[in-house]
Amino acid sequence: MDRRGTNETETLLLQKLCCKITGLSEDVILPVLQHALRIVGSKVDPLVESDEIQVAERIKRRLVRRGRESDAAVFSDLHRKLQSQGVLRNRWSILHLLLSLADSAPKSENATSRVSEQGFKRKKVYCIFYLDLNNNGINLNYKKDVKCTCKSGFCKTQSFLPVTTFTHVDPDRNSRSTGMRLASTLTDRGTESALMPRGARTVIESGIPINRGDNTSYELPESELIKDIVYTFQGIDGKWIKFDPSKDAYRIDTQAGIPKAVRQLVGKLAECGWLFKKIKSYVETKTVDKTFGLVGQSFCASLHQELTEYYRLIAVLESQVGILTLHQKLTEYYRLIAVLESQLHQELDQGIGLGFTGLSLRQLFVWTFDPLHRLKTLATVVDGCKGKKGGALSSSVYSYMLHGDPFIASLIKHILTMVAQPIYCTLVRWIYDGELEDTHDEFFVASDPTVKNDRLWHDKYSLRKSMIPNFVTTDQARRILLTGKSINYLRQVCKDTAPIKGREKSIEIDRNNAYVMFMQDTTTEFQNIIDEAYKDTSLHLLDVLHEKYKFLDHLKAMRRYLLLGQGDFIRHLMDLLEEDLAKPAGNLYLHNLTGILETAIRATNAQFDDSDILKRLDVRLLEVSPGDTGWDVFSLDYHVDGPIRTVFTPECIIMYLRVFNFLWRAKRMEYILAMIWKNQISNARMLRAIPELTGILHQCHVLAAEMVHFIQQVQYYINFEVLECTWDELLTKVKEAEDLDYIIAAHQKFLDTVTARCLLDEQSREILTQLRTIFDLVIEFQAAQDNFYSEATQELDIRRRYEHRRERRSKEGDWEVTDDEEEEEQLRRISFLKQIIPSTRARLTVLSQSYQDMVKQFLVMVTTHQDVSLRFLSFRLDFNEHYKSKEPKLQSPFMYRGLRHVT
Amino acid sequence: MPREIITLQLGQCGNQIGMEFWKQLCSEHGISPEGILEDFATEGTDRKDVFFYQADDEHYIPRAVLLDLEPRVINSIMNSPYANLYNPENVYLSKHGGGAGNNWASGYTQAEKLYEEIFDIIDREADGSDSLEGFVLCHSIAGGTGSGMGSYLLERLNDRFPKKLIQTYSVFPNLDEISDVVVQPYNSLLTLKRLTQNADCVVVLDNTALHRIAADRLHIDTPSFAQINQLVSTVMSTSTTTLRYPGYMNNDLIGLIASLIPTPRLHYLMTGYTPLTTAAQVASVRKTTVLDVMRRLLQPKNMMVSTPVHRQANHCYISILNIIQGEVDPTQVHKSLQRIRERKLAQFIPWGPASIQVALSRKSPYIQTANRVSGLMLANHTSISSLFERTLNQFDKLRKREAFMDQFKKESIFKDNLDEFDNSREVIQQLVDEYQAATKPDYLAWGTQQASGSVDRI
Repeated sequence: MDRRGTNETETLLLQKLCCKITGLSEDVILPVLQHALRIVGSKVDPLVESDEIQVAERIKRRLVRRGRESDAAVFSDLHRKLQSQGVLRNRWSILHLLLSLADSAPKSENATSRVSEQGFKRKKVYCIFYLDLNNNGINLNYKKDVKCTCKSGFCKTQSFLPVTTFTHVDPDRNSRSTGMRLASTLTDRGTESALMPRGARTVIESGIPINRGDNTSYELPESELIKDIVYTFQGIDGKWIKFDPSKDAYRIDTQAGIPKAVRQLVGKLAECGWLFKKIKSYVETKTVDKTFGLVGQSFCASLHQELTEYYRLIAVLESQVGILTLHQKLTEYYRLIAVLESQLHQELDQGIGLGFTGLSLRQLFVWTFDPLHRLKTLATVVDGCKGKKGGALSSSVYSYMLHGDPFIASLIKHILTMVAQPIYCTLVRWIYDGELEDTHDEFFVASDPTVKNDRLWHDKYSLRKSMIPNFVTTDQARRILLTGKSINYLRQVCKDTAPIKGREKSIEIDRNNAYVMFMQDTTTEFQNIIDEAYKDTSLHLLDVLHEKYKFLDHLKAMRRYLLLGQGDFIRHLMDLLEEDLAKPAGNLYLHNLTGILETAIRATNAQFDDSDILKRLDVRLLEVSPGDTGWDVFSLDYHVDGPIRTVFTPECIIMYLRVFNFLWRAKRMEYILAMIWKNQISNARMLRAIPELTGILHQCHVLAAEMVHFIQQVQYYINFEVLECTWDELLTKVKEAEDLDYIIAAHQKFLDTVTARCLLDEQSREILTQLRTIFDLVIEFQAAQDNFYSEATQELDIRRRYEHRRERRSKEGDWEVTDDEEEEEQLRRISFLKQIIPSTRARLTVLSQSYQDMVKQFLVMVTTHQDVSLRFLSFRLDFNEHYKSKEPKLQSPFMYRGLRHVT
Repeated sequence: MPREIITLQLGQCGNQIGMEFWKQLCSEHGISPEGILEDFATEGTDRKDVFFYQADDEHYIPRAVLLDLEPRVINSIMNSPYANLYNPENVYLSKHGGGAGNNWASGYTQAEKLYEEIFDIIDREADGSDSLEGFVLCHSIAGGTGSGMGSYLLERLNDRFPKKLIQTYSVFPNLDEISDVVVQPYNSLLTLKRLTQNADCVVVLDNTALHRIAADRLHIDTPSFAQINQLVSTVMSTSTTTLRYPGYMNNDLIGLIASLIPTPRLHYLMTGYTPLTTAAQVASVRKTTVLDVMRRLLQPKNMMVSTPVHRQANHCYISILNIIQGEVDPTQVHKSLQRIRERKLAQFIPWGPASIQVALSRKSPYIQTANRVSGLMLANHTSISSLFERTLNQFDKLRKREAFMDQFKKESIFKDNLDEFDNSREVIQQLVDEYQAATKPDYLAWGTQQASGSVDRI
């Protein structure tokens, strides 16, 4: 063969080969090519005859020399067949190779590979590649009867394996180009031998000759193990490696002759299978689980996708194992020859050996490194997701998202994208259409179908805390809940069918963009979607409430009627009701009262109110307890229905009624005192005629003035500190409100504050009782004064009649009065005065004393109350420190400290 | 229509301030001079029915009775754009037409004679209301008609409507300038007796102080009646805002004055107003707060009553009501009260609880005012007694000389004797004494000695 001539062809072929292997273009292949050329070109040319017969003879001779005559006979037979078929062009080379391999087999791997690499002539190598790449037919021929170990030439071919595996397994991983990955795999492979502990390697290698040597199964061939492992990878029990459910692990048959180190390695490899089994069983059980929900199904689907990739790997591995089996047989055959040969020409073929380690455990170990990693991650995720579904499941998955390893992060992201998909779809439908299709309770908005429309806003929808994915913040969840709730509320309660402003946007939203939910670090899209939908919907709802349902008007009506804001109406109502309410509560008839209510409305400015509001105004009688008068049980009521009922819930109405009752009582005191005062004014004028009563009148006036002051200041306190201030706050909040919940909360706070400041809460109970006692004293005083006035007026009448008589007689020319009569009259007057003055005085003094005591005690209680706002009341009640100067308890320096610092 | 108030305008002064008052009310309620509701005012939540009623043709008619003994002022009203506002049946002009000649007795006697005709009008007006709250009387105490006729009406109203309130807006004479009415002290004293005994609440409009305010605060050297009357009408309309714009409190006259008047005789109220500006004046640029308003209201210079400079230290407030209008933050009220108490800006009675009451009232939406916040103070202060003391002094001077007694003796009430003068003097002296007593802690026992003494006497 002309070397120079073939040199060029060879280089060209080699270049093609390199290109094929590496996948690189011709331009950049040069370094690889050079390396290849160096390998091929480095010839430690052994002096071998290029005669086929001679080589065949040498093989036969070696076999015979080693006492394997029968093998020699088989060989010569095979050789003959080979010659006759003419498939192989380079029979000599092959035979020589086999011979050389046989010689080198027992030697150390390092030497073998080197020798084998170096030992080939370029021609032979070419021939072998040709054989392998183009035609497997010949291998098939050898398959049945040739038993030999592998050859190094195949190793090169098999080095494709990981490459193809990776490229197929992971089409999504585009961080690295195929070429790069290939290179790295090559590198991996290159470093493999360096990294792998030599000892381990030797163990594997050395096992084979032993096995071959005594032909027993004392030690399993690696190929067997590999086969088993590949089974294991698929979760199937192999011959030697079986799953032990009791230990939940793969166990290698203890009987099998496998060295400890190999066992360890196999154990490690079996992990893949274990993980696979775990994931698969999860997927299998969950896929059929009907209640697992969409999110769970998506999760299974994503896992399944990953497993499919894994299957692909296994498929490739399996095909490799198939090839392996062929080559094993072939190699064994060669080895047979080699054994013979080596016996003959041990000295000759020292440097040549079998370099092929096949699909070794180590290779598997390396190839499965990444898949194992993936499986491990998946298994961890599966573990973390056990027993979870829906949003909780996505939360669990998301918790792996922040993994530092970008490989894992991207894997998780892929899974999460699928897992989050149903959540995202549900969410989009919810916030734009208010539709909640969540048959498996996976979404974090829960709906209670038993709730009726009037409680829809409060009770129908709730956040399922456990289902809130942790990539969705609580605030977002709240807004999402609110948005969908608002839509439903609009549709079902407000009967509003007008489209909401942002509705059309939902069509543009790509429902496959689930990643925006959990990629909020990098995109604000999700937040924007929520915010916009929330804003549009909420504003629309508020608009409807305000425009269509006149929420603010109703709120103001509450203030005007239940909180007595419409003063002229309340006053007139009290005028009209006074007589009825003095009766025992049992004697009241609702229809009478409603009639009076109607009259009061017609006669006052209330008549100008919206008829819808007036229609809702009604009278209610509270529960009657024994001894109650009409004053105790009378209450105004305001009927609410439809959407405004959501704000004015029955609970709220109850609170309004309680406050009304308190205000109504206070108002009644004001009313009573006005009457007392009016009586005083007119009676003072009349009773000027009886100057002896001046003292008592004055006593009445002063006591009444004190009471008027007290009640007026309580009323001012109610007016400003209770109503005006809180009302102001409420109105501001209602105006700035962005959603209904905000209004409801503000309204609730308003009611709470009003209730507390009206002493209607638990901690003020004693103070309220004290206040009621003061109220009672006012009523008692009214009775006392009326009593006194009626007696005094009677006396006045008698005196007037007496004077009248005198005048008449004087006119008639008679004596005005006789001495007897005058004396009688004088005595009568004195006895009257003696009777009325001390008793009235005493009564008034007692009243006034107990009243003052009560007020002082009340002040002490209010001043020491924890609620600072109540101190406003004490401040007002004792503005000129009249009581403070009289009550030592109020003089304590600590009492007013709070007051001074309020400003 | 509950809680109606009938306004009685007596004499030259009474009709003048009355007219200003109605002008002000009309503009606040959006009622045209003809009594027709303006288009912009139909949606109001104000209460017009306290002071107006609606005729069949939907015209708003003031519940006002205009009375005079001489035609000058009433004629000028009848020739003004507001001529058609009033019910012509309620405008009563004495056929005699000669007036009362600045003589209380003349006015009193003439009123006596016109009793039937006058009370026909008043009765009709009272019958026209569902639940009449009371009467408001506008008059001056120095002249003849307002004082004499006013005194007579007060007495009769008491008899006829014993349960109705009577509030008066009484103009006290200017003591700084020499009056052409020489018998002014007589007139004043005689009227004061009725105001003390027959009225329930007297809002004192002191011409001395009004002129001082016009000069000092508004910088008008020679203020016209119209300008003074504008001040008065502002006070009158503001003091009734809470009645006309219903709220939680102070929706009726009785509620308003009950807390101001602890004992029946101490019912003279001073007023104060801030910020004081005339229409022409440019609004001050300062931002007014509730505290500003309340503090200024406590300053004597803003008071519409001139009390002597040599203040007795122990004079004190019996009660105060501030009606504040405009955009007010309700939370400010409490803070302002605290500040006032801390600084002891107001001295209160020592015998009972007293405080500054603050009522926030709506402002008419139809009137543009330059001031964000304005305030009216109604105060019951014991120093008002110095006004009465002054009257007593002047009276005593005249009385000693028996000056100008003839024209009084001509009238029936003084035909027999001049006891009425002495009686009136005694009543006023008692009033002064009671005000003095009210400055002391033992006011609580006031009158007790008197009473027990009288019992003993018997």
